[in-house]
Amino acid sequence: MSALRIAGLSLRRLARDRAALFFMVALPVLVITVVGLTVRSFSTFPVGVVNGRSSAAAVELTAVLERWPSLEVHEYATSSAASTAVRRSEIAAAVVIPSSFGREIAASGHVEIEVVAERANSTQQAAATAVQAAVSQFSARVAAARFTTAQLGGDFAANLALATGLQGSVPQVRSTTVVADDSQQTLPAGFSYSAPTMLVLFVFINAVAGGATIISTRRLGMYERILAAPVGAGSVVLGEMLAAFAAALAQAALIVLVGAAAFGVSWGDPLAATLLVLVWSLVGAGAGVLAGTLFRTPQQAGALGPTIGIAFGMLGGCMWPLSIVSHAMRTVGHLTPQAWAVDAWTTLLARHGTLPDVTTKLGVLAAFAAGFLLLAAARFRRSLA
Amino acid sequence: MIRLAAPVRDPAVAGPLLRCEGLTRRFGDRVAVEGVSLSLPAGEVYGLLGPNGAGKTTTIKMVCGLTAPDRGTVHVAGEPATSARARRLVGYVPQDVALYPDLTARENLRFLGSLYGLSGGVLRERVAEALELTDLTDRARERVGSYSGGMKRRLNMAAGLLHHPRLLVLDEPTVGVDPQSRFAILERVRTFAGQGMAVLYTTHYMEEADRICDRVGIIDHGHLVAEGTRRELVAKLGEKDRIELGALGDLERLAELSRQVPGVEGAGVADHCVHLVATSGRELLPALLEAADRAEVDITSVDVVEPDLEAVFLHLTGTALRE
Amino acid sequence: MRPVLVIAAKDLKQRLRDRSAIVLALLAPLAVAALMSAAFGGAENVHATLAVANEDHGAVATGLLAALHAPELGRLVTVDEVRSASAATQAVRSGSADAGIVIPAGFSASVLTASPEALSTVTSVNDTVAAELASSVTQAFTARLNGDRLAVATALAAGAPASHVQALARDASGLELPVDVVQRALGARQLSTISYFAPAMAIFFVLFVVSFTSRSFFVEREQGMIERALAAPISARHVVAGKALSAFVLAATSLAVIGVVTGTAFGADWGDPLGAILVSLAMVLSVVALTALVIGVARTERQAETVSSIVVFCLALLGGNFVLVSVAPPLLRRLALFTPNGWALRGYTDLATTGGGVGTVVVPVLAILAFAAVVGVAGLLLARRAVRP
Repeated sequence: MSALRIAGLSLRRLARDRAALFFMVALPVLVITVVGLTVRSFSTFPVGVVNGRSSAAAVELTAVLERWPSLEVHEYATSSAASTAVRRSEIAAAVVIPSSFGREIAASGHVEIEVVAERANSTQQAAATAVQAAVSQFSARVAAARFTTAQLGGDFAANLALATGLQGSVPQVRSTTVVADDSQQTLPAGFSYSAPTMLVLFVFINAVAGGATIISTRRLGMYERILAAPVGAGSVVLGEMLAAFAAALAQAALIVLVGAAAFGVSWGDPLAATLLVLVWSLVGAGAGVLAGTLFRTPQQAGALGPTIGIAFGMLGGCMWPLSIVSHAMRTVGHLTPQAWAVDAWTTLLARHGTLPDVTTKLGVLAAFAAGFLLLAAARFRRSLA
Repeated sequence: MIRLAAPVRDPAVAGPLLRCEGLTRRFGDRVAVEGVSLSLPAGEVYGLLGPNGAGKTTTIKMVCGLTAPDRGTVHVAGEPATSARARRLVGYVPQDVALYPDLTARENLRFLGSLYGLSGGVLRERVAEALELTDLTDRARERVGSYSGGMKRRLNMAAGLLHHPRLLVLDEPTVGVDPQSRFAILERVRTFAGQGMAVLYTTHYMEEADRICDRVGIIDHGHLVAEGTRRELVAKLGEKDRIELGALGDLERLAELSRQVPGVEGAGVADHCVHLVATSGRELLPALLEAADRAEVDITSVDVVEPDLEAVFLHLTGTALRE
Repeated sequence: MRPVLVIAAKDLKQRLRDRSAIVLALLAPLAVAALMSAAFGGAENVHATLAVANEDHGAVATGLLAALHAPELGRLVTVDEVRSASAATQAVRSGSADAGIVIPAGFSASVLTASPEALSTVTSVNDTVAAELASSVTQAFTARLNGDRLAVATALAAGAPASHVQALARDASGLELPVDVVQRALGARQLSTISYFAPAMAIFFVLFVVSFTSRSFFVEREQGMIERALAAPISARHVVAGKALSAFVLAATSLAVIGVVTGTAFGADWGDPLGAILVSLAMVLSVVALTALVIGVARTERQAETVSSIVVFCLALLGGNFVLVSVAPPLLRRLALFTPNGWALRGYTDLATTGGGVGTVVVPVLAILAFAAVVGVAGLLLARRAVRP
């Protein structure tokens, strides 16, 4: 079947194109790694601690901070280094424990811990609030130890140790958590965030950039030459679409494999995930062949393709979750196929959905794919006539 | 009328405009040019004749200062060819059209003219002049990429003349050119020479060399094997005729057998013919026909041609000029 | 000097004709910045609406509510008082509140007994920050409540006789927590998303100048134009310098336009103008150096395209042009400082957050120039050989 032969040739030429291989294989993996490592957690604040080891008491307070669920502790040597880190948003707040902390808490006056955080900066303020809560917990131990020492005498440090031990078991007002809404709207942090979003992004971008090959083949006069042989225009169109689909599918499959094997990403329900990958590859193939009929020179495709792909990626939630943007932006975003694909992945990965849960989204994506493919086929055919 | 740029030194340059002495250039193990010496006065057209790969282009590049010779010297108007002063006097027209397809004719000419130090009103004038000469004034604002092959070639040559060089160097200017344009190019070359320009011209077409060159240098495998006016070179052949045998069959075999016929000095195969140089060629015809018989070759035509450069070449190198 | 200008001018004319260059150098970064500005232009801040169900109305409950209304939490928290626990749960579920706090009936009365009532924090998995906020505020409050009880228990455990419990409890009531948190402001400006990503995207797209310029060199060589130019009374130096100048002008213009547009129309803060210009110029020099290197290393246009793509993307990935590098792990942050763009972003960030002038960016500018010098020297040596083999 000549369509298969045409598809085969296009794929072989693609395999020899080293730049294309970089963009289809190496780059997505690199981006997934970097983004995955960076988007680690949405719910903890990194804070810096200065003089965290300057006394036994400081060590204990640092331990309380480290065990606090919403805090992630990093140690800094000086207050100015920690302050610079706050300014650069590397940490949300800096906790400066006085170097005389050990002596001060054993004495009788107030002990001040300086927390560097901007009130007007809500991330920093939120971190400061968490620090306040942790410090209050420690402070209660100190109060208890001082009280005991005042009442009975004895070694402050020993009393502090007693208070620490008792803090967990004494009847006290606790705070329990009730989860009212457990329907996760965003992808889990880390590689399970970057892998699906980058799959959506890169398969589309590379497919559209691949349209450049169709353009250069046409400019070389090769389609004319092929059509001089007993080959119908329909076979040419079908062949190029098959090639685009195969390339997109291979890329998606590679990202799924690397994600699972190297990054521990669980892609959700296998059937639903497979269908999603297939449909998205169709969307990419359609967009790619359509690009091959829309742009005039390969350079145009090479420049506009990634630009459109990035813009759609941004609108569709590949670069940041759509849950953080305004309702209006979210609506506009759903004009792109990317948004529906990311939604589908979120359902599968964050809410452990199965096929019935993503049917609507798959349907929308299939409609996009059909639209692109039909339009591309019509235009391609006309250009060959 | 094109007025020529004056050389930096004496207006009446003593000695030849171009002087090459013992030029040698190697590329790795391959010797491209060896021991080539030639000189060229103003107003003369010198043809460097030789088959592909003979070393013509390498020699040209040394004359234009693009490559330095491994041994030997090249001087233009007394200046070393690689110097800026020399390059200002040389107009280089490369074999393959070298123009920016995404710029217009005017932009291409302005750019190249400025590199040769032209500017302001002079540059404008020269560009207009070049466009006139090449009949491209109407299309000066279009991108060169949209031109036909012939238009590109004309512009390619005009670009080499903007600065009114004293030495024009043309590398195979007529390859792949239709007969009409070829004629026009050759006529133009003669005109330039008439105006006092020295022209160094490489080709592998003997008829061209015959037509317009005052002197010819025959170059083969990097060596200049003979040099002189057409008449001088042909005279060296003496009574030798050139015979063209049109034939069907194993021409190589026929050439081989022909060489064995006494009186035949050289035989080569080109254009489906066997070319021979022989003394008193006419008298050898029976022997040649017999050789054709033995080679089991069918002779379709026999031509006895007065000695010409093709014959000279054949005689000197043992191979045909055209492959 | 003139041949250099002539060659650079011709080069720039060709780049302008090539619309894909305009797209990547101007349109794409502006479009991307516009999208980011639209997405993040609104409130960027952490804010939580807390639905508080006060089923108790006792003194302690009132104390907790007062704590929730504390001035330092003003920007952070909006308290929405609701009638009941189910109302709070409903509010969180429907999204009208980000988290909730339920004070059960009888809470105030039970605080001092042996089994006090628990407060509950109502959360959504989609807003863990609000959940943590609600949790932190209640825990800070309850630490005070629990303080006296812990004191008595500790005393007993340290050896006080059990009969003294009442006396101890009396002494311990109203015990103050001695360790205080004093919050100090940095006096720095907050770095908005657009202020980080406008320079980040600008630099990413500017790096593509490396690709355009280096590719054009090989195209010209293929066209025979490099040779033709060298036949003229100019030298290889002029050709290299001309190309370097055109790359410089293109990159500088691109950065300048994006800087001005994002600064005025999209609210990006590039910091002190002079400081930003210095960082930008240093970055542009790096782009020129990289162009020379690619020309020297590649042999054909295709190779130039591949090499420059790899260089551009690796630098951008490492340097933090795609992600907010400050929240990246320390290793990535350190790797970013091996790239000129990483230093440039640090420079712009420091300018925007400190509001400082040229002095703030001395170190980044020097670092970028050092990179440009090393790469540039290597590049120039190799490129010379490419021009005149």
